[in-house]
Amino acid sequence: MHLRPGTVDFGCRFTDLCSSLKVEIDSFSGYRIYPSKGKLFVRGDSKVFRFASSKNASLFLQRKNPRKIAWTQVYRRMHKKGITEEVAKKRSRRTVKHQRGIVGADLAAIAAKRNQTAAVRSQQRLAAITKAKSEKKEKEGTKTKKPAASKAAHAAPKVSKQQMKGGKGGR
Amino acid sequence: MIGLKGKLNVIDNSGALLVECVNVLKQKVNNGWGSIGDEIVCVVKRARPIGAAAAASATAVKVRRGDVRRAVIVRTKKVVRRPDGRFIRFDDNAAVLLNNKREMLGTRIGGVVSADLRMKGWGKIVSLAPKVL
Repeated sequence: MHLRPGTVDFGCRFTDLCSSLKVEIDSFSGYRIYPSKGKLFVRGDSKVFRFASSKNASLFLQRKNPRKIAWTQVYRRMHKKGITEEVAKKRSRRTVKHQRGIVGADLAAIAAKRNQTAAVRSQQRLAAITKAKSEKKEKEGTKTKKPAASKAAHAAPKVSKQQMKGGKGGR
Repeated sequence: MIGLKGKLNVIDNSGALLVECVNVLKQKVNNGWGSIGDEIVCVVKRARPIGAAAAASATAVKVRRGDVRRAVIVRTKKVVRRPDGRFIRFDDNAAVLLNNKREMLGTRIGGVVSADLRMKGWGKIVSLAPKVL
């Protein structure tokens, strides 16, 4: 490390000043500033500007707009110069819809139900209907078998239900 | 490069606003140019008005116009070279007032100071500064 004559080498003293390992970019043109090159300007409002060369610095101080200076990165990006490679790399992003199972029916059950053919479904429906009819017949059979024992009990709820039903029908 | 008649803004809360350099205190040379971290003798050209209440409170020593004080330069418009080869330049010349024992008069610093101060031994000022560049 370069030492000024008369100074002691306190290694820590230099570290906060020597951040030379980072390659900065020029605030005006977007060029890369390698360590020990260029100037750093701190404006009155504490904003920092880095210049790679006196050309950049001079133009900045003349308050030129880098967007109008043809060799700056800002201009090139704005006028889309030399960007064809980047455009080719661009990937289109599409959201993929995922099928998810619900608590009641997991993914396999949903898939199975969806993939049933119409014939199978109609068969299932017929089976369900016949099953229901048979169950109903059985119920009626049991009811007629025990008429004396619980006729009154049956009659009362039956009537009340019918009344209720009738009431609902009336309205 | 602050020399005789060089004007500096004061960025601490000592009450002075503008000081004019009268002498640059360097080891062997009693004149010449002052840079960041150099002590100077200066005259207060413009100061903040001191109210009666402010004079009574003892938060910071308040200076008046025409006072001759010492100061340390913290920002210069002239570039200063860093050990890694960079050059730093600020937008104005600024100083912080001191007493004869190299202690600060104010208690707070408002604004950027140069990091070169630390190398020259003004660590206290650097630690008080809100931003160091």
